[in-house]
Amino acid sequence: MSSLWLLTKKNLKLLLRSKSSALIVVFAPLLIILILGLSFSNSSQYGINIGVHASSFNADVNSFMETLQEEEFKVIKYESSIEDCIEDIKLSYVHTCISLPESFQIEGNAKKEITFYIDPSKINLVWMVQETLRTKLNLKSEEVSKALAGNILTKLVDTNTKIGTEKDKLSTIKGKTGSALSSAEAAKTDLSGLDFTVPVTVYNLSVTEAFKTQVSANINTGITKLDAASSAINGANLSSSEKSAIKKHLTLAKSELANASARLTVDSEGSFIAVSNLINTLETDLTATKGKLTSASEKVTGTTDNLGNIQSSLSEGMSSLDTVLTSLNEIKANLDAQKVTEAGVISNPITTKIENVIPAQSYLSYMFPALIVLVIMFSSLLLGTTLVMMEKNSPSFVRNYFVPVKKVTFILSTYLTNLILMIVQIVIILGISLIFLKELYMTIPQTVLILFLAASVFTFLGMALGYLFVSEETAVLASISLGSVFLFFSGLILPLESVSVLLREVTFFNPFVLAEKLVREVSLFQTSLSLIWMDLLILLGYAIVMFLVILIIESLLHKQLVTKFMRHHHHKHRQKQKIDGKKH
Amino acid sequence: MIVEFIHLKEVVKEFKKTKILKNVNLTIQRGEILGIIGQSGSGKTTLLNLIAGFIEPTEGNVEYFSKIDHQPKEMHKNLHKIKRHIGFTPQHASFYPKLTVKENLLHFGRLYGLKKALLIDNAKSLLEFTNLHGHQNKLAEHLSGGMQKRLDLSCSLIHKPKLLILDEPTADLDHITQGEILELIQEVNKQGVTVVIASHHLNNLERICDKIAIIHKGELKSFGAVEDVRKPYLKNNICINIKVGKDKDKMIAMAKKLPVSKIVDQGHQIVLHPLEDEKALLALIRAVKEENLYLHDIDLRKPSLNEVMGNIVDEEERK
Repeated sequence: MSSLWLLTKKNLKLLLRSKSSALIVVFAPLLIILILGLSFSNSSQYGINIGVHASSFNADVNSFMETLQEEEFKVIKYESSIEDCIEDIKLSYVHTCISLPESFQIEGNAKKEITFYIDPSKINLVWMVQETLRTKLNLKSEEVSKALAGNILTKLVDTNTKIGTEKDKLSTIKGKTGSALSSAEAAKTDLSGLDFTVPVTVYNLSVTEAFKTQVSANINTGITKLDAASSAINGANLSSSEKSAIKKHLTLAKSELANASARLTVDSEGSFIAVSNLINTLETDLTATKGKLTSASEKVTGTTDNLGNIQSSLSEGMSSLDTVLTSLNEIKANLDAQKVTEAGVISNPITTKIENVIPAQSYLSYMFPALIVLVIMFSSLLLGTTLVMMEKNSPSFVRNYFVPVKKVTFILSTYLTNLILMIVQIVIILGISLIFLKELYMTIPQTVLILFLAASVFTFLGMALGYLFVSEETAVLASISLGSVFLFFSGLILPLESVSVLLREVTFFNPFVLAEKLVREVSLFQTSLSLIWMDLLILLGYAIVMFLVILIIESLLHKQLVTKFMRHHHHKHRQKQKIDGKKH
Repeated sequence: MIVEFIHLKEVVKEFKKTKILKNVNLTIQRGEILGIIGQSGSGKTTLLNLIAGFIEPTEGNVEYFSKIDHQPKEMHKNLHKIKRHIGFTPQHASFYPKLTVKENLLHFGRLYGLKKALLIDNAKSLLEFTNLHGHQNKLAEHLSGGMQKRLDLSCSLIHKPKLLILDEPTADLDHITQGEILELIQEVNKQGVTVVIASHHLNNLERICDKIAIIHKGELKSFGAVEDVRKPYLKNNICINIKVGKDKDKMIAMAKKLPVSKIVDQGHQIVLHPLEDEKALLALIRAVKEENLYLHDIDLRKPSLNEVMGNIVDEEERK
């Protein structure tokens, strides 16, 4: 244990006394984090220069430019041609160029086109510029769409209202047509009820003559009888007065019968002739009426037929009106059912609203996890490599072989040295970060634990590289390369979505990604360690595996390294001897 | 009493199927200074690494006697136990340049598990011993080459090892510093520390070593006390050392005409290996006179380890 501390103290001394190492490995990361802290401790828009070209800078174009300026973009006008702007992109004076149409007013079906010119080689900016500007343009497009949709909606509302009105009229027409149909129906029924049947009886007018004859005969008989009666009276045992009275009545009756007989034969008022004439007239009239009735019956039949036609026409009309009404009702129902009546909603039915799951903070807050892990990663990798190479290239490397100290103690001392320096760095970095990120205060212990694990993993990786490589330069290069690979496949530089699925899944196990994710979860979302224990375990596993790997590498290579080291010095010495020999 | 400390038995070391060391048999006694010499690429450092237990032999054994009566233990298999008794100083500086002298000493001392009081005591005496006391708070990287070597030595001695292994301890140092380092090593040895040194500064080794092991192309060509190693090469190997001034090139050209087997240009002097001593010497004097050259100094001496080494190389090449 004392050897471990002794070696660690020695390492620290050596590192701090080597000005270049101390500067590069110890102070550079601290300086970086301080500079980054000062640089990104704001929440304003990125400083993007946008070139705008339009054939004329009218109100529409100027309004769009103002929108961009409101977003803190620096907008530069290119009035002459878009080519000038494109040239400026190539020279990095502007980040993107936008070619705008003369007006955003939509007339007819012609679309308005806005062209972006971007430099795809600036991959870190392209997506951001595209995304930010697309949002702005979508707003403008939405504005135009809203006006167009508003126009359409107004017309639809008018139509709906008119349909409402006209539908009532149609209902009235339908009512009236119904009434007409009923009337026609009633008329038809009434007409059908009319009996125009003509009696088919044949009137025998000779009956009247027979009646006349019979009545005349009867009258004559009566008169005869009366005469007989009068005669009989005379012979009757009656007083004359009585006989005269009876004869008087008989004479009156006989007179009356004579009058009746006269009426049968004399054409006078109330006579049989008059009656006969009347009957003849009646017969004539009856025949004429019969003809008229036949004609009327025919007419009624024709009218009834017409009424039937009218009825079916009216029924058809009614049915058509029903159809029209149903259609209108459907149209109206459809129009009424159109719940979305806001032009804004139609033109942009789904609005994207980005809600921060945490309160809005400065960019540094969001970048902090990546930045701190980045610094820790490169510091640990470089420090691990540097310390191992420092030991390997140290003149005392051979002497250390002869000291009775286990090799694992040397490895642990290198790790411990690194860890002490990393802890110092973490403390300073977090200390500096607290100036800019006060919300970190609550999560410091968890953050420190994660950073400690991350530092261990990267230290062991750096140390492994130190043991594997011969020269310090190549080892440091390998460390930087390894760090760069971790960084490249972390999604920090390029979106991981663009790489293959397999590689994307592999990158999840990238220690940088793991550490960054853990720090983000802890520092930004205050996630409890119990929820992220699996990732912590993976990091710890990496550290243990790397330590074992180093032990294996060291046990395999150490003697070889010392031999190589001695042989190297031996050759150097021999060459020097040769040179000295030649000089003499 | 001669006590075995480390014993190499039929040691073979191969790297990528190339034999770097071939059947080396060597015994290091407690308390002695063993010098390992050889040309570049001869296998000195490999032999040193084997002795330090840093590498294991492909064949054979490197054994370590932890205590006098104990059975030998295989070095590389028991290195974790033996490490505490070994101090290793490689060719290059092996301390932390960004730590001060004192920090380096205390750091390595603590890694060896020394108690605080003992460590401070050791560090203090080492700082005085290596004359680094006045520089104890200086960063190691700011020390001069000699001081860095002394610091390296101190770091290897902080835990009071029984065996000190030094690879080229005097390399890249000036003559004075080399001398200081050698004195230090001798002082350390006097305190009972067994020292194994590999160096190409053969003259230095000649001065301080009790034993010499000469390695050539992976083979142990000679091993023993310095005089014993030199003995086979004494006959007909008297050297003529000529200290020359500005006429060195003319002198070399002239020497080529003399009856000598070999001419060695050592910079400040030319060493001639005569075929016949007397004839060569007379011919030399005559030629110097004829050519009107200035002869600064001339002497006859026994061959140095350097020259012994040269002879061994020559013999091998003749084979």
